[in-house]
Amino acid sequence: MSTTELGMPGSHGLADVPLAEGPQTAKDYRSDQEVRWCPGCGDYAVLAAVQSFLPDLGLRRENIVFISGIGCSSRFPYYLDTYGIHSVHGRAPTLATGLAVTRPDLSVWVVTGDGDALSIGGNHLIHALRRNVNLKILLFNNRIYGLTKGQYSPTSEPGKVTKSTPLGSVDHPFNPVSLALGAEATFVARALDSDRAQLTEVLRAAADHRGTALVEIYQNCPVFNDGAFDAVKDPRERVQRIIPLRDGEPVRFGAEGEYGVTRDPRTGGLRVAPVAETGEDALVVHDAAAGDPTQAFALSRLDSGDHGPVVPVGVFRAARRPTYDDLVRQQAGRSGGDSTLRDLLRGRDAWTVEPHRRNTP
Amino acid sequence: MTSPTVPRPPVRLERVVIRFAGDSGDGMQLAGDRLSADSAAFGNDLATRPDFPAEIRAPQGTVPGVSSFQVHFADYDILTPGDRPDVLVAMNPAALKANAADMPPGATVIVNTDEFTRRNLQRADYATSPLEDETLSGHVVHQVPMSSLTRGALADSGVSRKDAERAKNMFALGLIAWMYGRPTDGTETFLRRKFAARPEIAEANVTAFRAGWNYGETTEAFATTYEIAPASLPPGTYRQITGNTALALGLTAAGQRAGLPVLLGSYPITPASDILHELARHKEFGVLTLQAEDEIAGIGAALGAAFGGALGVTSTSGPGLALKSEILGLAVMTELPLVVIDVQRGGPSTGLPTKTEQSDLLQAMHGRNGEAPLPVIAPRSPGDCFDAALEAARIALAYRTPVLLLSDGALANGSEPWLVPEPDDLPDLRVEFATEPNSPDGSGAFWPYVRDESTLARPWAIPGTPGLEHRIGGLEKSDGPGGISYDSANHERMVRLRQAKIDGIDVPDIEVDDPDGRADVLVLGWGSTYGPIGAACRRVRARGLPVARTHLRHLRPFPGNLGAVLQAYRQVVVPEMNLGQLAGLLRAAYGVDVVSHSKVTGQPFGAEELADALVSVIKGESA
Amino acid sequence: MTYVIAQPCVDVKDRACVEECPVDCIYEGERMLYIHPEECVDCGACEPVCPVEAIFYAEDVPPEWAAFTDAGEVFFTTLGSPGGAAGTGPISADAPLVAEFPAPAH
Repeated sequence: MSTTELGMPGSHGLADVPLAEGPQTAKDYRSDQEVRWCPGCGDYAVLAAVQSFLPDLGLRRENIVFISGIGCSSRFPYYLDTYGIHSVHGRAPTLATGLAVTRPDLSVWVVTGDGDALSIGGNHLIHALRRNVNLKILLFNNRIYGLTKGQYSPTSEPGKVTKSTPLGSVDHPFNPVSLALGAEATFVARALDSDRAQLTEVLRAAADHRGTALVEIYQNCPVFNDGAFDAVKDPRERVQRIIPLRDGEPVRFGAEGEYGVTRDPRTGGLRVAPVAETGEDALVVHDAAAGDPTQAFALSRLDSGDHGPVVPVGVFRAARRPTYDDLVRQQAGRSGGDSTLRDLLRGRDAWTVEPHRRNTP
Repeated sequence: MTSPTVPRPPVRLERVVIRFAGDSGDGMQLAGDRLSADSAAFGNDLATRPDFPAEIRAPQGTVPGVSSFQVHFADYDILTPGDRPDVLVAMNPAALKANAADMPPGATVIVNTDEFTRRNLQRADYATSPLEDETLSGHVVHQVPMSSLTRGALADSGVSRKDAERAKNMFALGLIAWMYGRPTDGTETFLRRKFAARPEIAEANVTAFRAGWNYGETTEAFATTYEIAPASLPPGTYRQITGNTALALGLTAAGQRAGLPVLLGSYPITPASDILHELARHKEFGVLTLQAEDEIAGIGAALGAAFGGALGVTSTSGPGLALKSEILGLAVMTELPLVVIDVQRGGPSTGLPTKTEQSDLLQAMHGRNGEAPLPVIAPRSPGDCFDAALEAARIALAYRTPVLLLSDGALANGSEPWLVPEPDDLPDLRVEFATEPNSPDGSGAFWPYVRDESTLARPWAIPGTPGLEHRIGGLEKSDGPGGISYDSANHERMVRLRQAKIDGIDVPDIEVDDPDGRADVLVLGWGSTYGPIGAACRRVRARGLPVARTHLRHLRPFPGNLGAVLQAYRQVVVPEMNLGQLAGLLRAAYGVDVVSHSKVTGQPFGAEELADALVSVIKGESA
Repeated sequence: MTYVIAQPCVDVKDRACVEECPVDCIYEGERMLYIHPEECVDCGACEPVCPVEAIFYAEDVPPEWAAFTDAGEVFFTTLGSPGGAAGTGPISADAPLVAEFPAPAH
């Protein structure tokens, strides 16, 4: 069933949000609060990217709301001069859902971290994703607990030695993109805190999407997990490690596009191989809008074999599905009848007791 | 069947208590519900008490699987569903076993003999048939083969044997309707509406209902009929209402009177789910319901909606309230309006999900980290749940605070005739959102924690309002500007301000009922004990003993005159369905040595047991 | 407001700050390093690592070096926003203020 058939108000994520009258600058979005993250924290980069990207959306600033949970990243709303709530640990998606359902004129954003979203708030995250509420979730993944000073997180690699795992972590981590796709998310993307252009592109696509959008942002914690993403950030190495996903194009990477992603007939999954070996025709073509998330899921779990670590970035999935909040409001609109509050209170089986007389059944 | 008897004039009664009891699948709740509706339509005052197992279908024919519904109707205003049944309809041996002890001597028992088989007697743990030994001596027993009579009546109806058998609850209802002269049109209309999709089932049920009526009329054993005249109720329009329905209607009306959309975030839980069910049907009144993924998400969504300018509501029972505590704390900190309904049940933990208790009072009062005061109110009867919902909304909206409303299982599922109010007579709950910057320094900034002088409420500035962009959250905020503040003096000021706001909520004084002014013993209750306490006081006074009574709606803050009222009596008795939670709060607040009279059986107080307890206090036999 | 580099860096160019910058926004000129005023995210990682204490938050530049506050802006007028110093490598140019600065005596 298409959104058109359902008579949806708009297919654009910001269709119902009023536009600002004049141009805006990043400065308009800076609050008067002093930013208090550690020097070098990746959160600064994301904040700067968001502050410079919001003016491009051209929305009325008062119609934007950022809601966070608890953790380093959850300080985010205080630094943006929009409406905001710094809520409790893991629960930001619940407040955002209630707000988005009742206020279609708002652009609602959730800022969360790997502990907030995937550990204590895991339940709310997967349900927000499956419901497809029109809200955007920025998941800052630094693979560590920062605010509590350095315990491993649900995305920390196995064997990680932290204060709470002196012999190395024996927990198996989540892959947030795989998790989101498994939870029926309609929009899933990944970006790096240090690549402002790519991050901005992904944020823009998330804002445009009508439904729940999850953006995983690799974010460096210089204090408790410094260099967690160096392999994909190193200026010399990254071209071999980053796989940019471009909708409608064959998936390939390398300085000359010499590597590509092909289907592995043995496993049914995807793997990395030199294009010279496979031929261009064997490369899979990225289709973010596909109704079936299978290929997007395979990309999130790419087998890079001898090539060494690779990280696909960009939009894994941007599929159309009616949003929960639109459907709820549509039901509400459809049930408009002539009945008054008086009718409602009386119900169907009321009877009257006349003054000075016994009642009349 | 015997030939018709010569009709005898009906015996006049003031009141009667009838209990239908059967297996969980026997339709006892429906039979009871219809008897209530027909009695209400007839003009009696009435009160009801459903009682059913936590299991959807406990093992058939066993005592744990028994479901019952008690109706008390009278020609005067009554206060409780009645202590003991004058008439017990027992659809099988287990139903008789589970309820026999409640019957007073001389009670009437109508049993469905078809179900008194050897196997069913064993299941109910009867060594010999109670119909053949001394078990029921002293009672008037009517043995009626209801299953086979129903099947016989439906032999030519074309419905299956199973469907015919299932209509036996309507046979039982028809028999009772005949005995007590109930009108029948209502039930027949109801059945045709309920089974509109399957007309043959509708007709089968109507036929069974009529067969039960005719059986009474044509059987000599049922020579006597009874008449209970309509009660003299204040004039107006009435309907039968349960506490959960009344809460849902009250919340809907509150949204209308406030001019705000209502968002209910809720996770299904016994005995609160019917609030969600009812509100889900009222979307045309601006009510949105969200069945959340868990209890926390329910209150989170409600609070998020409140930030956006809606009346946020969440409904639950005790275990769910425990899960909501953290966001309740956030609501206290962010000072947003929110209505939280706890329909209490037996605890702790999963406890007794379908039974009633008042044991969440201290959880409501104190169940949060930090100094997190919030108003607590409690309705006293099913119909009063409507007014309590409006009162909760009033306080939440006017003072920008979460409000806890403590209902309970007895109110939730119990019902009574309710005088339907005119919408225009309901309180005006309109609120004003902030529209302008308010900083006292004239800087043109918006300060979210500048307070109204009289209510101490902070402004409600909703997204979409230009110039008032601000951030709130769980971290302590500076008094006035509302930025994050770790300043110790500021924290102390804010803690005291939040407390002062709740303490200063405008709450009406309590009124004491002491007809002749001679009483030196006061009975003080809260919540659903209102009916039993009232009925007990009537009995005490009927014995010539003076007793005063009063009832609390507002548990935080307490009414301003409560301390003086408590001091005015030699002894204060506080009956509660817990181990004395309010009694402890009163001792702490006023230094008064109150007598706690407590009960935790999962059942409401009976009027007689409570009257006996009061008499012994009044006579000085216990204090 | 961002961080800026002032006179102590001229003809020093230690580059410790470049290693530290999480967004690679510190570019190497002929005689001095420059922080890109738009690419900088204000995280403050560079400031404590500078061995000659040349880096200041723009509002805190000492009066005697106030002229350096705008040096970055001038330097990048023609370069625009390259999006990372690794991509450009050293740039054989300087802001006029720096270019005209007296060379150290040998």
